[in-house]
Amino acid sequence: MTSRQRRQIFDAVLIPILAIITGLAFSSVFVLMTSTPPLVAYQEMFKAGFGCERLDNCSFFLTLERATPLILTGLSAVVAFRSGLFSIGQEGQFLLGALMAAWIGYAIQLPPVIHSLVILAIAMAIGAAYAFIPAILKLRLNVNEIISTIILNSIAALFVTYMVNFPLRANRSSTASTPIIHASAELPSFFPGSHWGVGFLIAVAATIFVWFFLWRTVPGYEQRMSGQAPFFARFGGIRSERAAIRGMLISGALAGLAGAIEVLGVNRQIVAGFSSGLGFDGVLVAILGQAHPLGVFLVAILFAGIRLGSQIGLQITTNIPRELGGGILALIILFVSARSLFGDVINLFRNSFGTGRGIPKEDKA
Amino acid sequence: MPAVEMQGITKYFASSQVLANDAVDLSVGQGEVHALVGENGAGKTTLMNILFGLTRPDRGTIRLNGTPVQIPHPNEAIRLGIGMVHQHFKLVPSFTVAQNILLGIEPSRYGLLDQRDENAAVKKLADEFGLPVDPAAVVGELSVGLQQRVEILKALQREARILILDEPTAVLTPQEARELFTVIRDLAKRGQTVIFITHKLLEVIEVADQVSVMRAGRMIGSKPVRETNLKEMARMMVGREVLLTVDKKPVEPGEIVLEVEHLLVAGVGGHTAISDLSFNVRAGEIVGIAGVSGNGQTELVDAITGLQPVDGGTIRLLRNEITNQPVGDRREQGMAHIPEDRLRTGLNLETNLDENVIVSRYREPEFQHYGLQDRAHIQKLAEWVVTQFSVASARPGEDIATLSGGNLQKVVLGRELSGSPKLIIANQPTRGLDVGSIEFVHRTLVDARDRGAAVLLISVELDEILALSDRILVLFRGRIAGEFQDEQATKEQLGILMAGGVIEEEAS
Repeated sequence: MTSRQRRQIFDAVLIPILAIITGLAFSSVFVLMTSTPPLVAYQEMFKAGFGCERLDNCSFFLTLERATPLILTGLSAVVAFRSGLFSIGQEGQFLLGALMAAWIGYAIQLPPVIHSLVILAIAMAIGAAYAFIPAILKLRLNVNEIISTIILNSIAALFVTYMVNFPLRANRSSTASTPIIHASAELPSFFPGSHWGVGFLIAVAATIFVWFFLWRTVPGYEQRMSGQAPFFARFGGIRSERAAIRGMLISGALAGLAGAIEVLGVNRQIVAGFSSGLGFDGVLVAILGQAHPLGVFLVAILFAGIRLGSQIGLQITTNIPRELGGGILALIILFVSARSLFGDVINLFRNSFGTGRGIPKEDKA
Repeated sequence: MPAVEMQGITKYFASSQVLANDAVDLSVGQGEVHALVGENGAGKTTLMNILFGLTRPDRGTIRLNGTPVQIPHPNEAIRLGIGMVHQHFKLVPSFTVAQNILLGIEPSRYGLLDQRDENAAVKKLADEFGLPVDPAAVVGELSVGLQQRVEILKALQREARILILDEPTAVLTPQEARELFTVIRDLAKRGQTVIFITHKLLEVIEVADQVSVMRAGRMIGSKPVRETNLKEMARMMVGREVLLTVDKKPVEPGEIVLEVEHLLVAGVGGHTAISDLSFNVRAGEIVGIAGVSGNGQTELVDAITGLQPVDGGTIRLLRNEITNQPVGDRREQGMAHIPEDRLRTGLNLETNLDENVIVSRYREPEFQHYGLQDRAHIQKLAEWVVTQFSVASARPGEDIATLSGGNLQKVVLGRELSGSPKLIIANQPTRGLDVGSIEFVHRTLVDARDRGAAVLLISVELDEILALSDRILVLFRGRIAGEFQDEQATKEQLGILMAGGVIEEEAS
């Protein structure tokens, strides 16, 4: 492993941890206002996010369940970013993947396993197809992918709302929803009490796949070079247009997969207002995880755990309102983004681990 | 009493861990033309940036005419009578000459600007210093030489007594450079002090009174120019003996490798960048394309290498038409490309050495199996580049961003020459390099030619073209203005052809 790769992994792990510590330290001020001792509050928070009492009542499993779609949408963003496209279309691709899963889940009958595999494949295809639109718009008409993906997200959200309210509506109950999927389509959970299950394994596999693809394969090399240094890539003979399209297709497939897993493994149907923000959170997770698959994997779990702990754990066991929990989460995110704040600490760590040059603090030379 | 006296100037850049100036002393006499020479990264520009208030020294004192001064900001430098002309001009292209020169100090009447007043003031200044310009001309439409003159006038208008010129000839034609030297001599006669940064030693001999040589952040020595010579200065700069000429065997041209016929390339804004251009390059010869930059060089190279589509004509590589082939296919047939912009095009500074040396060859079966990269072989290639091209301080797997310009260019050369290419397109291969690295690049290109490669050399440096080429073509406004066999060409003839259009323009 080269020193750069060591450094990348180091950053991907260390920065989120430092950010959490700093974020919690700052949040103490607000926690104190509620006259709860911060240490007690944080203890409760971590218990609710990362604790595990019994296998059938384990909040950490819930965290892993909530982390699953974040890992996949995060990886989706990583592949797009590494290919040089700032695609934030994960939300739309996620929703369409979910919609396909909900529909095929109840509309057709297939043997178990095969049924879910077919659905996952179709959801990936629809996600990829939806990501192809901004890719081709960018290449042919030079349409900015940030704008096109935002618009496509809205279109997908409204389309899903329409489909759930009308063509796919299960019954005339006051809240519109699609019918429950057949048991053959479900992705099983490991333990009762949470939906942590096969979907998470798929996310682990996807993390390894994305890392392997980007850093070990020829097309992955093409993706990264086109993303990092487009002139260099073209000069070397890399067909950047192909790389861009390939990157968007993989990105879309991962987001579509996330949507399908959310339906097959957790919700079993789509309820109106399903639009969850998981796609956008994926963008956030990708940035916080330094656009590295391993970083995404860890950040997604931390993110899900802290969210559970701060928004639900605190509310139940202390008198801290869940809004404040959201505030703590926001502060942590803020500190992750302020990565240069940790430059000195990281340099210290690096020097003691011998991983080479640190983050430059000033750039004048 | 010296006009400028800098003592013990020390500057450490923490971010790049570079000691740019290490207790540097510099003394410049009143009315003297002082050349500051050194390799890239020797610390010349840092020293001058300190004098002009752009960089703060960690230690050291500056005296002007014996008075100690603090120069925390360029405004203070200007107040003290110091002017600097940067390598990249800081002019507003859409403003007139007068508007640029008087920017920020415009004469006004009742708070209103008066263009006639401005023009008159600039006219007076230009006459006074014998630097003719048209005050009403729009700067963007002027030649580079005239733009530089505007920069100099701008400094003089602010009553600069000490003028710093950062590599002033880098962008000029030989004729323009000669005019600049006359201007510099005139200014010195009037008592102006001129410090000019350069790494072209011939210029030092031609124009300077005193030369100071820097190497690796230290001042190596300062001498009157008449007491030194080219060889000594080169040795002081590089720290060892340098070959100033290139030894070449007589040319033995083989079969035609590159054949360009009636090439037509549209430039930006619809005008033709390359019109009806035909030439060829044979195996075992170096064909040099001389020309002032902006006469179609970039478009020609991009068309041959496949980075830009052509609008007409054909390009053949070893009789095989490649006119519309993608870059990768051309490279597979043995085309190597040393690009003019090595930092953005030639290299990816965000990644390691291995991924940089493989970019032109990553598809070859040696380096990948079934779409998986063969990292061991790629690393071997990186090692080969490092050892064969003696790339100091580069190691396989490590980042390249911290390497010096010369070492970066060695990485590019190593990669491009690694596959024994049949055709090498070298575009400004020594731009910004120091004497030692230039020697290396030249040697490498001549060696490749001796091994039978066809080399197309595009350079704005006439000395380089003359030293390396077996055949010389002059490119002017996208056409070939003349062709010479190496021994027939003189610098003067080439210079006239290169500048032909410019002379016409000034006459009109």
